[in-house]
This record gives sequence, structure tokens and C-alpha cells, in this order.
Amino acid sequence: MIGASLSRWTLSYFAVALLALMAAEVMMAAGYGYPHTGLRAPETLILVHVVTIGWLSLLMCGALFQFLPVLLARPLYSDRLALPALILLVAGLAALILGFLQLAGRVDPDLPCLALGGLLLGAGFALVLWNLARTVAAAQTVPLQAQFVIAGLLSVAATAAFGIVFTLMLGGVSSYEPFAVLTGAGLPLHIIAGLGGWLTFTAMGVSYRLLAMFMLAPETDRWSTRAALWLGVAALSIAVVGGTLAILTGGGLTAVLLAAGGVGLTALAFYGGDILHLYRARKRRNIELNSRMAVLAFASLAACIVLCVAALALGQLTEHVDAIVFLAAFGWLTGLGLAQLYKIVAFLTWLECYGPVLGKAPTPRVQDLVVEARAGKWFVLYFIAVWAGAATLVAGYPLIFRLSAAMMLVATVGILAQLVRTRRLADVKAALRLPQGAQQPRLLYALSRQT
Amino acid sequence: MTDSFVDLDVRPILRAGGEPFQAIMQAIATLPPGHGLRLLATFKPVPLFSVLGSKGFSHEAKEIGGGDWEVLFRPASATTESGSTPAASATDASNWPEPVQHLDNRELDPPEPMVRILATTEAMKDGDVLAALLCREPIFLLPELAKRGHAWHGGFEPDGKTYKILVRVGAGKKAAA
Repeated sequence: MIGASLSRWTLSYFAVALLALMAAEVMMAAGYGYPHTGLRAPETLILVHVVTIGWLSLLMCGALFQFLPVLLARPLYSDRLALPALILLVAGLAALILGFLQLAGRVDPDLPCLALGGLLLGAGFALVLWNLARTVAAAQTVPLQAQFVIAGLLSVAATAAFGIVFTLMLGGVSSYEPFAVLTGAGLPLHIIAGLGGWLTFTAMGVSYRLLAMFMLAPETDRWSTRAALWLGVAALSIAVVGGTLAILTGGGLTAVLLAAGGVGLTALAFYGGDILHLYRARKRRNIELNSRMAVLAFASLAACIVLCVAALALGQLTEHVDAIVFLAAFGWLTGLGLAQLYKIVAFLTWLECYGPVLGKAPTPRVQDLVVEARAGKWFVLYFIAVWAGAATLVAGYPLIFRLSAAMMLVATVGILAQLVRTRRLADVKAALRLPQGAQQPRLLYALSRQT
Repeated sequence: MTDSFVDLDVRPILRAGGEPFQAIMQAIATLPPGHGLRLLATFKPVPLFSVLGSKGFSHEAKEIGGGDWEVLFRPASATTESGSTPAASATDASNWPEPVQHLDNRELDPPEPMVRILATTEAMKDGDVLAALLCREPIFLLPELAKRGHAWHGGFEPDGKTYKILVRVGAGKKAAA
């Protein structure tokens, strides 16, 4: 075992992802897509995929290239494959957006853009999966947190498979009957596999490790973590495998999804208990901004669950599914992502720049690369904007929703500015900034270090 | 003494301009117990000697003509591989001298443990040993130790919570010389 080193292209993934997040916020602020058009309108589909693929998936892939090796204590199978995968994913997203515009009749290129987008995205995710799967295969032991990630990776494969079926069908490339049936009724499964399996489950696995690491909490093998893992896997299997079978055999989805929802809720309850335990058992009393802001993301997840259960009890799930999905994507996943990004960028920059000269020259601490008080305001603004946005969706005020989205955009730009300052070492005292032997980091990728 | 070897010829990868490190580490990771690795390369792979040295392999290199090299990597002690500490050991440290430095880094915020270990080793003489207690496996420290030519040996204590690492300054360089 030789440990883990810096992943070269992780920061490039983060950069593209942040651009996509801001693009999505611009769209929402400008009234493009839902709630100003229907949930299934092409404009909404564009918005949703810019958020889920452009922002959340690229963020997650970039983070996994760095942190799956940390979870497994193995080097990444290939540092190089990450770049072609990024190019395929971005090209695939672009083609997919063109395909949706084609559906809306806005553009008329002489190409089956939708199907092309599906295939390019499929190829990109396949490359990411191959790289990560080979990394897992080389590991001697796979710790519990990494098993969450594996379930997440299986889910992204399922999500992409559904997506490809939809694009082949809607793009007019295939007329295979079972595909048509899946396209008609499979949308909830695509969303559950993507938001629930890929993004949420992977974020859960990574958060166990990151929180323990940054708060000095003991990483003991708890039975509740295993319960969260297996109940979660069961819920996803019921929803995705059971749901697919139900659709193909002409049965109803409702019973299957309710069963999956019940099991999934129990899994999330165990996860919530574990997270509370991590915060309580931590040895570090004054926790850093990323761990404090993560609390707001966990609160958003809890609010999302409460809203979901309440809507279900009142028989108003269809009316409020927009606010539930919005809270999951922006309060929980984006909130957690931005909070951890703030720490991860600082840590990776510190390791890249000062790792080679540690002990040989005076170096700043990781915390010297950031100014938490300044960044904290933008984070608080971000979460207030998201919660206001969710409230306007529940109450049905689309115009005020646009204001909230504009506030989210302002906050995101503020956070991004802090990340750029960190990367440029702008907040490090000049005397400590570049000791002899240290190199100024590049903004968008990590310098490969001499061995 | 190991007599069984798994063959790995990285000359095609090198001639194609590729980087064979991954293939070599993978071959090492999948070696059957007690087996060594016979590596064929287009140059004397000196950096590998310290990397594999820190994983407990001795090496024997000879030129086989045409500028090509054959290197035999043998596991230093085939018997220790069946021990109960999985994965974590890099070197057999049983014949190392007593540590001259002791650090307890369990209560430090990351990455302070790494900073203190590297700062301490910089001030030590070649051959000296440092012992440090940590609360987790120092994933990012290990490549840095290898780069600086130190050998290390680490693993979790029986309580499963304390990770103890021994670092022998400069011992990775000696294996390569």
C-alpha cells in the first residue's frame, strides 16, 4: 500500500461543475424552465440536467477521483482517464441540451442530438465507472463507507441506462416496445436512481469519512451504519429493479415505490443517527466552516423528508414534488457539496503547494488559506435563499421564486470567489506564501509532482 | 529464498511511451504468497527499488543486453505475509533500532500529524527511527515518506483506534543504492 496522492483533474471537474451550477441559477432567476413552464417541458428538462449532470454529477465524479482512493488507501487506477471522461460528459450534456431544444422545436440540427447525448453521457459515465471500479478491485479491503460509494456507482449506471433508453425513444432512434413502455412510466425510477442512489447514497458514504476526518471523530464500525447501508441498498433495489419489473409486466408503480420509500426512510433515519453521533463524539470542539455548514445541509435533508411524508399523508405528493426535489438538489446535495468543496479545495491546494516542502521550510496551515468569516456570510445567504425558494414553491409564488434563485446566484458567486482566492493563495501572508521549493498552484488542475 | 516468480514485461509499455507504474503495482498487489516478481524493462528502474523496498521487497538487477534490464523482486520474508495485520505493513521493522523520537499525534487536527512527522524526520540522522501514534492511517503521508527516501512500517494497535507508525529515516534510499 502506498497511500493516495493528488488527483490531477479533480479541480477541472469542480470548475466545470460550478459553472453549471451558476448557469442553472441564472436560468431559474430568469424564469427559464419550471415553475414557469411545466415539469416535463423541454426547458425544465434542460434545467434539471444542467443541475444533475453538469453540477452535481461532475462534482461527485471529481470528488470520487480524489476520495475513493483515500477511502480504500489505494492509488486511483488511472489519473489520465479522468480527462477524456470529463470531455465526454460535457459533450454529452451539450448534445442532450441541443436534443431537448430540438424537442421544443427551438433548433433543428440535422442530427439525432438526444440519442447522441445519451450515448456520449453513457460513454463518459462508463469511463468514470471503469476507472473507479478498477480502483476498488485492486483494494484488499473495502471499508463500509466505500460500500456506499459502490452502491452509488451501480445507481449511476442504472440512471444512465434509463436515460439512454429515454433518449433513444424520444430521439426517434428506437421503437423497441419495452423501451417505449419504460419511457412512458419509468421517469420516477430515473429520478430515484439518480438523486437517491447515485447522488444521495454516494454523498452519505463520503460524508461519513469526511466528517470523521475533519472533526476528529472516531470511525468505529457501528451496526447502525451497516443498517443504513443495507436498508438503503434494499430500498434502491426495490425501487429500481422492482419498479422496472412492475412497469414491464404492466403492474402499478405506486405499491413498489411506497415500499421502497418506507425502507429508504428507515435507512435515512439510521444515517441521521450516525451523523448526530459523529458530531457529538468529535474530539475537536471548534469545528470549521465546512462542518458547520454541513449541519444546514443535513437540516435541509431532514426538512425534505418531513415535507415528503407530510405531502404523502395529505395526499398532495404530486403538488409538492417540485419543492421536495428542489430541497433535495439545492439544500441537501448542493449545500453539502459547496460546504465540503470549501474545505477540500483548501486542503488539496495546501497539499499540492506545501506538501513537498513540509519540515524543510516554514509553511502556512491549511486554515491560513481561507478566511472563514468572509465565506460564512455567503454560505448563510445561500441557505436562506434555498429555503425561501422551497417555501415559494410550496406556496406557489413563481415570481418570488425567481428572486430567491437570484439570491442563490449571488451567494454562489461569493463562494466561488473564495475558492479562487484559496487556489491563488491570496489570503496567505506574503512571507509564507511561496517558500523555496514550493510552486504556485494552477487554478484549474493539480501539478503532477516529481517522484 | 523465493524461487517462484511472476513475469511482467513492461518493455512494450515503455516503448509505446506509456507509464508502467500502475501495471507494476497491480502485479505486486496480486502476487501469490511467497512469489516474487521478475520485471523486464528498457532501463534500470532505480526509483522502483525504494518504492518496492518500502513494501518489503529486495531486488536484484542485471543487464540482459540491448540496454534492457531484468530485475528480480523478492518478498523479504515470505512468512510475515500470513500475519494477522492486513495491508498496513510496508517493511519488516523487527531489526530496526529503538526509536529516538516519539510523537503522540492522536489529538492533533489534520493535517498537523503529517506536518509534525515530516518536520521531525527532517531533523533526524539517516538510520534513526521515529515512532508516532495517530488516530487514522496517514494516507497522504505515505507517498511523501517514500519520496523523501524514508522506510516506514505501520498498522493499527489491537484496540483498532490507534495507528502506530515507525519511520526509519533514509532507509528507503539505502534499498535503492
